Amino acid sequence: MKNDDMKQQLVQMGNGAHALATQILGNADDAADAVHDAFAKVLRRPEAYDASNGPLKPWFFRIVRNRCIDLIRRRRPADDTVDELIDATPGPEGLAEISQRDEALQQALSELPSGQREIIVLRDYLDLSYVEIADIQEIAQGTVMSRLHRARMALKKELTRDE
Amino acid sequence: MSEHEKSVDQHVGELLSGMVDGELTQQQRQLVSLHCETCDECRENLENLRGLRQRIGNSQLSELGEDQWRENMNDKKVTTSRSIGWLMLVGGLLAIAGIFLIAFILSDEIHIGMKLILIAIYGGLATLLYSVLRQRLIEQKTDKYKDVEI
Repeated sequence: MKNDDMKQQLVQMGNGAHALATQILGNADDAADAVHDAFAKVLRRPEAYDASNGPLKPWFFRIVRNRCIDLIRRRRPADDTVDELIDATPGPEGLAEISQRDEALQQALSELPSGQREIIVLRDYLDLSYVEIADIQEIAQGTVMSRLHRARMALKKELTRDE
Repeated sequence: MSEHEKSVDQHVGELLSGMVDGELTQQQRQLVSLHCETCDECRENLENLRGLRQRIGNSQLSELGEDQWRENMNDKKVTTSRSIGWLMLVGGLLAIAGIFLIAFILSDEIHIGMKLILIAIYGGLATLLYSVLRQRLIEQKTDKYKDVEI
């Protein structure tokens, strides 16, 4: 893939990557840094992407996710349970950036554990397939449906409570 | 009985999500459809999940525009300052090495024979270093297993 084509595709994925990173890190500013780092990593060695192994989108989101996990581990290196570490709710700046229209949704999402927020964003916001989600989250394909269903039911419960 | 091997009179649970996402086998789709014909609770859940998916899909969870990402990606300040930094460092080191080399060659205190020996030793070390660096660079560029995690 040509470098310019890759750059264009990465630009188009920027918002999705930022949404994913915000849900993992719980902070829009840190999320922007994570996406920037992921861009830099990919563009430093674009040949690392092998198109025969699948589309660019899940590959790039996996890099973003790994970068987020690195940032969390760096923040609190004593802990190694990522799910517990990333269970933070967005800060006031993060929430302020979300438009009024989606505030209730964002609020309900922020009440969920980070793993559930992440899988919902991967499927319902970024429209990735179960195979791609399994690859990004490094879990068995058969686990995706059950985790996603639990996450959706939890979100539905939160939304019902808020409304 | 696993979640994927339900009978038609049982609640279909996570299969509802699979149905919404179009990720079920034909057999599973039939099972969910048949069950929802008779189960109000699952039918309502299916509709709720479809609505939820649509709502999230239509939402704006990040408000940064493409221009911002393009700018972020091509952050000229970062790339320019990094290039200038490297240029200054390498330039400075080369200048120091040049000054020492000229002073060494022009020095009257060192015998010409000793000069030639020292030039041969340091020249040899520099050539070996260059050779190793070049080999590493070529390996890094051509090694197809470099991304394999062990």
